Amino acid sequence: MAIDWSQYRCKDYYDELMAAPGQPRPAAQHLVHYLGSLTPEELAERRLAAELAIKVMGITFTVYSEGRNVDRSWPFDIIPRTLPKTEWNKTEAGLQQRVRALNLFIQDIYGPQKIVKDKIFPAELLAESVNFRPQCVGIRPRHGVWAHICGSDLVRDLDGTLYVLEDNLRVPSGVSYMVENRQVTKRVFPELFQTGAILPVDDYPAQLYDMLAAMSPRPGDTPSIALLTPGIYNSAYFEHSWLAQQMGIELVEGQDLFVGDDNCVYMRTVYGPKRVDVIYRRVDDLFLDPEAFRPDSILGVPGLMRAWIAGKVALVNAPGAGVADDKVVYAFVPKMIRYYLGEEPILPNVPSYLCMDEHDRSYVLDHLDQLVVKPANESGGYGMLIGPRATKKERDKFRELIVANPRNYMAQPTLALSTAPTLADGSIEPRHLDLRPFILSRGDSTYVTTGGLTRVAMTKGSLVVNSSQGGGAKDTWIVDLEAA
Amino acid sequence: MLSRVADNLYWLGRYLARAENTARLISVHSHLLLDLPRGMTLGWSPLVDILGANHAFESLYADDSEAQVVRFLITDPENGSSIAASVGHAREILRTVRDSTPRDAWEQINALHLFLQEKGEKHLPRAHRQAGLDRVIDGILLLRGMLAANMTHDVGYHFLQVGLSLEQADMTTRIVDVRTVDLIRARTAEELRPFVQIQWMSVLRSLMAYQAYRRHEKIRVSGPAVLRFLLQNRDFPRSVMFCLNHIGRTLPNLPHNRASERSIDRIRALIQDANFERLLDQGLHEWIDEIQVGIGAVHESLAKSYFQVDSGTAPTQRQVAYS
Repeated sequence: MAIDWSQYRCKDYYDELMAAPGQPRPAAQHLVHYLGSLTPEELAERRLAAELAIKVMGITFTVYSEGRNVDRSWPFDIIPRTLPKTEWNKTEAGLQQRVRALNLFIQDIYGPQKIVKDKIFPAELLAESVNFRPQCVGIRPRHGVWAHICGSDLVRDLDGTLYVLEDNLRVPSGVSYMVENRQVTKRVFPELFQTGAILPVDDYPAQLYDMLAAMSPRPGDTPSIALLTPGIYNSAYFEHSWLAQQMGIELVEGQDLFVGDDNCVYMRTVYGPKRVDVIYRRVDDLFLDPEAFRPDSILGVPGLMRAWIAGKVALVNAPGAGVADDKVVYAFVPKMIRYYLGEEPILPNVPSYLCMDEHDRSYVLDHLDQLVVKPANESGGYGMLIGPRATKKERDKFRELIVANPRNYMAQPTLALSTAPTLADGSIEPRHLDLRPFILSRGDSTYVTTGGLTRVAMTKGSLVVNSSQGGGAKDTWIVDLEAA
Repeated sequence: MLSRVADNLYWLGRYLARAENTARLISVHSHLLLDLPRGMTLGWSPLVDILGANHAFESLYADDSEAQVVRFLITDPENGSSIAASVGHAREILRTVRDSTPRDAWEQINALHLFLQEKGEKHLPRAHRQAGLDRVIDGILLLRGMLAANMTHDVGYHFLQVGLSLEQADMTTRIVDVRTVDLIRARTAEELRPFVQIQWMSVLRSLMAYQAYRRHEKIRVSGPAVLRFLLQNRDFPRSVMFCLNHIGRTLPNLPHNRASERSIDRIRALIQDANFERLLDQGLHEWIDEIQVGIGAVHESLAKSYFQVDSGTAPTQRQVAYS
């Protein structure tokens, strides 16, 4: 029996591919009909082919488990997620607008702090921000860009509205999987790409390279660019080595670099020291430079902040950019857009309750069973409370945490996260998903990936899409219906 | 080329050569023991001597029985130069240099590592030992083939080659050293004379050199001729001179190589001038010690020239490389 789309359950949530049982959305029409024409054996065969391709291509991610790090094959669902180009155009504009405002905000915070003086942004929020770096005050990086690379998470609610859930401005990861997902899908379903309606995604490394090169403190020369990784035990090491390979730049660890007495950064090479102009760092702020931050860090480079402040090297993202990557600061992004750009936000935020606000806090404490509570500064889905699914004990624990440290928590209504058809044990079932596009800022222009990384919760009913916690991924298609 | 990456590729070469030679050594020793008469037993401790691991061995094991030594040399993770440890080191290195080595090389070393972890122990007893050692030897040769055929022959590849050659030169001299000491001891007992020939043959076999020796020397196996072949021959890939010449031909591809070239030339001169008839009578062990010191000096000069780049002061304009 082939897939019977009329039996597909998509009543309770917005489904990305199906408008109703048996009725695909326009952007998914071709795909859904094609999948329906495959026998279950053929479908299983394609799934196996994808698994094999992932193994052969060596697409892995690292998880820490049972006391050691292990490489796991990238969990991948072969059924792509589709979005119409018309909707994407608007989303792209919304993301560009957002990142422009975020960069202006960061520059303002480390400069005159006008937004605080104008009472749009509360001073006490800043005072208690763990990602505010006093070392960055008074600095203006090249082109005024702090968050060169931003990974924003988008989710869709029951009524079809696409919300921004959070902006990752520190060291967002996942973009290599976005490109590799497409490679796998092309191998598995080559016939689907013949229409030319699916927009390509693979120019990201070239765009990233151009952006990095534009940050060089020695414009004119061919810049020397390196990617700084914490090393092979980092969960994103695959991505670090992938990106370095794709861009043809050096993959370095802290021990490979040193800062000279001229405040320039050098790589240790077999030819002798070689100057580095731009460092795409995938090491967190606090580990970057033991002289400026944690003295026990062995991942960083002593003197790196000195070199950056002296303008001898570009750091991407800039240290301190994380001040805007905070789930409480997030709630102010729509205000920032109005304040700095004088525009209305194109993409909405998920409604948020800030526990630092007395009124909001009492609402949150009274509705813990309905809300999702998030700490301000955790990533990877850790330390969250999903109220409707939590036990009373867990809710009580969060009640104490919030009362003890209200600044550190915010809450949002539980969204009815959208779904898409996913292959589970040989049959097709809806699974919840999100979308992480990546935005590159160069100062003069802003680039948004075509679509992004779709992460899917492979377990039935689950809302957790992080790969470290059992999530998987899908290829994401921006479909140009006019080209088809 | 980053110094760390060059250092890693150099050690990848050394670990691969070490694991392969250790596997051959155990294999040949296992066979040799079958041919020796009762009462004349070499035991297994010479293998530990060859690898210079006596100290580690004594701290881990109570006696030098076959089972203990074989475990120590093949699977013991506590022994930093056991086959499993060398393969494990090589695997870690290939993980870190994934961006400069072909993908299939990583899969190959990973498969070999998993074999040793999962099935190494089962292959220790005599009945299965040869199959296990063959798997290791074949696996390493396959990996070397993949690297030679699929990796860009750039500076990094040259460091890999230097590591392979230097470790081979080191292993060959170690094998000659320990085996010759055994033989000298055996020569004193008149009734053991027939077995001396077998032992010299085993020296050659440990290095896959028996066939090449017969073709090349065209004389029966004798001490001085074997030593000449293993140390001075220019065409046999496991002879010390061949390895040194190979490094000598590779060095011109590397920057500021004067110190390393000098250290290679010093050993080459020592080997060229050697008179093995005289050394076999007296002083061979001390002479080999000198060669070993020379190999150590080559390593030191490589480390100093390429792997340890001083930090702190900025380079002068002339030193700054734009490559």
